[in-house]
Amino acid sequence: VQSGEVLQVETGSLYPALHRLERQGWVKAEWKQSESNQRAKFYKLTKLGKAQLTSDYERWGKMVATIEGIMTANRGGA
Amino acid sequence: MRVFQFLRRKSDLAEEIESHLKMAIADRVARDESPAEARAAAMCEFGNVPLVVDTTRDQWGWLRLEVLAQDLRYALRLLRKSPGFTLTVVITLALGIGANTAIFTLVQGILLRSLPVNDPGRLYRIGDKDDCCYYDSFQNDNGDFDLFSYDLYLHFKEAAPDFEQLAAVEAGGSGFSMRYGSLPAKMLHSEYVSGNYFSTLGVGAYAGRPLIESDDNPDAAPALVLNYQTWQADFAGDPHIVGATVYLNTHPFTVAGIAPAGFFGDRVVPRPPEIWLPLASEPVLEGAGASVKQADTDWLYALGRLRPGVNTDTLQSKLSAALRQWLVTRAKYTEHGGSALIPRQHVVLAPAGGGVQKLQLQIGKSLRMLMILSSVVLLIACANIANLLLARGTTRRAEVAVRMALGAARKRLIRQILTESVLLSIMGGVAGLAVASGLSRMILSLAFPEARNMPVEASPSWPVLGFAFLVSLLTGVIFGTAPAWLSSHAQPAEALRGVNRTNGLGVDHSSLPQRVLVVLQVALSVVLLAGAFLMTRSLGNLEHQNFGFSTANRYILEFDPTGVGYTVDRLPALYRQIEDRFSALPGMAHVSMVRYIPLGGNNWGSSIIPQGHGAPGANDDSFSSWDRVSTHFLDSIGVPIVRGRDFAEQDTATSQQVVIVNQTFAKQFFPGQDPIGKHFGLGNPQYSGAFEIVGVFANFKMTDARGEVHPLFFRPLSQQFTGYKGGDLKAAEETSMFANFIILDFTTAPKDAETFARKTLAAIDPSLSVFDFEPYADEVALNFNQDRLIARLTSLFGILALILSSVGLYGVMSYFVARRTSEIGIRMALGASRSGVVVMVLRNALGQLVVGLAIGFPASLLASHLMASLLYQVGAYDPITLLAATSVLAACATIAGLIPARRAASIDPMKALRTE
Repeated sequence: VQSGEVLQVETGSLYPALHRLERQGWVKAEWKQSESNQRAKFYKLTKLGKAQLTSDYERWGKMVATIEGIMTANRGGA
Repeated sequence: MRVFQFLRRKSDLAEEIESHLKMAIADRVARDESPAEARAAAMCEFGNVPLVVDTTRDQWGWLRLEVLAQDLRYALRLLRKSPGFTLTVVITLALGIGANTAIFTLVQGILLRSLPVNDPGRLYRIGDKDDCCYYDSFQNDNGDFDLFSYDLYLHFKEAAPDFEQLAAVEAGGSGFSMRYGSLPAKMLHSEYVSGNYFSTLGVGAYAGRPLIESDDNPDAAPALVLNYQTWQADFAGDPHIVGATVYLNTHPFTVAGIAPAGFFGDRVVPRPPEIWLPLASEPVLEGAGASVKQADTDWLYALGRLRPGVNTDTLQSKLSAALRQWLVTRAKYTEHGGSALIPRQHVVLAPAGGGVQKLQLQIGKSLRMLMILSSVVLLIACANIANLLLARGTTRRAEVAVRMALGAARKRLIRQILTESVLLSIMGGVAGLAVASGLSRMILSLAFPEARNMPVEASPSWPVLGFAFLVSLLTGVIFGTAPAWLSSHAQPAEALRGVNRTNGLGVDHSSLPQRVLVVLQVALSVVLLAGAFLMTRSLGNLEHQNFGFSTANRYILEFDPTGVGYTVDRLPALYRQIEDRFSALPGMAHVSMVRYIPLGGNNWGSSIIPQGHGAPGANDDSFSSWDRVSTHFLDSIGVPIVRGRDFAEQDTATSQQVVIVNQTFAKQFFPGQDPIGKHFGLGNPQYSGAFEIVGVFANFKMTDARGEVHPLFFRPLSQQFTGYKGGDLKAAEETSMFANFIILDFTTAPKDAETFARKTLAAIDPSLSVFDFEPYADEVALNFNQDRLIARLTSLFGILALILSSVGLYGVMSYFVARRTSEIGIRMALGASRSGVVVMVLRNALGQLVVGLAIGFPASLLASHLMASLLYQVGAYDPITLLAATSVLAACATIAGLIPARRAASIDPMKALRTE
């Protein structure tokens, strides 16, 4: 998980999130052998998940743009 | 299935997290960290493992159930650990919930139940009052009609095709002695019903056939339907009785069939009808005086099954119009100014799915009051338990603090404590069911001692179980909320620092909720105690009032010469024999016979017309009760003659018809005159010279134990008035010649009075059976069943409240002393006297008491105001009662406070300080 050092999240909080995604059908999980020969659970985006991601990402982009617009306008006004 | 899935996923998650940690550690080890460091760092990075597992599982939607199971397990373990606490709480709750469930059993059985018939929702009754049993004029001042004559019933039937079926049922009911085969005669309760009665209710027959339309034909062979339970109990379920001929008062009837098991008729009564008779058979039993033949004798209720989709408001107006239309055709209602009253006459259409609401109208108010009282008891119990839990919560503060410090969510803590209290309350509820079934059995036998096959079960039914469960749940939430809330707001750090210790200085804030609860208990207890005192005083006033006649050493014997075929001409000989034989018994002062005994629940009434007066107007109060008595009747009940003379041997069948009247009668019908020698008659001016008043006797209560004395006169059993014209009057006059009771007045009552009496009657005529034999006082006491029941129950509830709140105060004060042991030790070491300590603790207790009383005082004034209609000669604002309630409570509370206070004073300062 790479979020730089800005956000410090306990890695454990990943699991509730992953299980929620799985329940919504946006990711699929299966047990596989990792490179270090350790049995591990692998999560994969489903088709539905991808579509959701795209739409969410677009929405995010729009939101950022809107906020950006407001912030710049405000700074200009000041 | 889903449980297995859940368990699999649970281990799956554990493995997933484990593999995550293993990989993270392996990564760090690969980066040259020591395994121990790597493990610590990985764990730190991951966060709180159990919390993550909890939150993740929450996503599956299964957590709630799992948490519940955990909480239940934990709660059970805790309760097992403190059996004393658990037992106290369960007993307290069992009493509280038991009392409520018992009352609800009755409410459900009497007020809420439906008749066990087909589609009871479509049953409606024309009329909403409980008027009974025979009327022949306007019924209620507001014009509400609920009793109808057979003629009026037929008129309704024709006017309202909106009823699929409309049945008529007798408002009162009587008893007949029934003989079947060689079995001894049995006195059975009967009800006259129309032929379509069973089909209206949608009920068939268990065996044989029910009554049918053709049984209404005047020339139909008399038939009857037997109550299933009576058939089982009195006739051993003999199948041959169906179709057999039985004799009712010597008249042959065919047993058409047996009603279905569990069918108890058209209303909930303590003693349901044992036989149902067709209306057409009434003339067979009653002769020419039969009510069914009198177009103006109102004695029937009308009960019908509506067609689907009928608008009841429209139908009600239609029926009211039909009523008025019928009334204007009847001289009885139009003459003497009656016409003016007709426009306001109407009927009310009332739902009758629960049957004719008679008992409900009579005792509904009391039942509702008892329900309120019992819920107040439960509230007090809740306050008590909340207090106990609060005290326990404080001792558990350390545990709660540790759990919160370890990351337990506040919500989860509250849930756990609530689970514990609901578990407790459900245990209390289960125990309460046992209390309830015992209590409701007791209530039923107290309220309806004459009950036989009463269709109200004391043992819990499904609705009752559901009610008990709901009440338990609610109770648990009510008493658990405050402790749960408070303990979850403990500050972990603070609690851990000074676990189980108070800062000895200043006021102890943490006990505030406990004090509030005690104040609440005291206030509610004052209300209950005041109620108990009021009801008990009212009952005492009722029972020990001066009825005007004596019951001491008197016994009554009920018999029925009609039932065994006596005719009027054989009566004088029978009466003479009875007087002679019974008078000869040892210790007998007076023997008399009477048709209806005073305060025995039955009487006759007629409209009085003094000689020279016209018929009374529709608004005139011309009604008087009357009765037939033997010569020595007044002596036998200790009532003096105040003017003129009593009946004597000189009043024979052929001498002048004489009567004696009570003082109210004389005052009402002959105001300002000497009534002696005056004449009056009944019903019609043409008979107004019939009876001559020869004496006036002192007022006593004949019909109404609560109210004023009404006009009353007596006629001798020896004189039959032969001047009546019209078959019905003649028949009624003849019926009145039959005495039903023998009153035995002993100078000192022998122990085996009953055996003597039975033997004596059998010696006169072995066919005469004794239907009832009991002390007259017991018979009179039946008038106050309901009052006695309410007084006892309110007292019971009051005592319960008193105990609970005393225990509550004691608990809080003991706790207060225990927590401040070291402080008290210091005070004493510094020179505080023992009496000073007692005063300190007691002042605390009395403070709560005084506040509680201050709130309870106005509350009980309000409560007694609401109870006023149930009280007899007790003012609602009764200072003595309030004073008594307050002092009893104050005394108990002081004792409850004094015990811990003395314990506080006996603290040894050295010991107290050493425990620090």
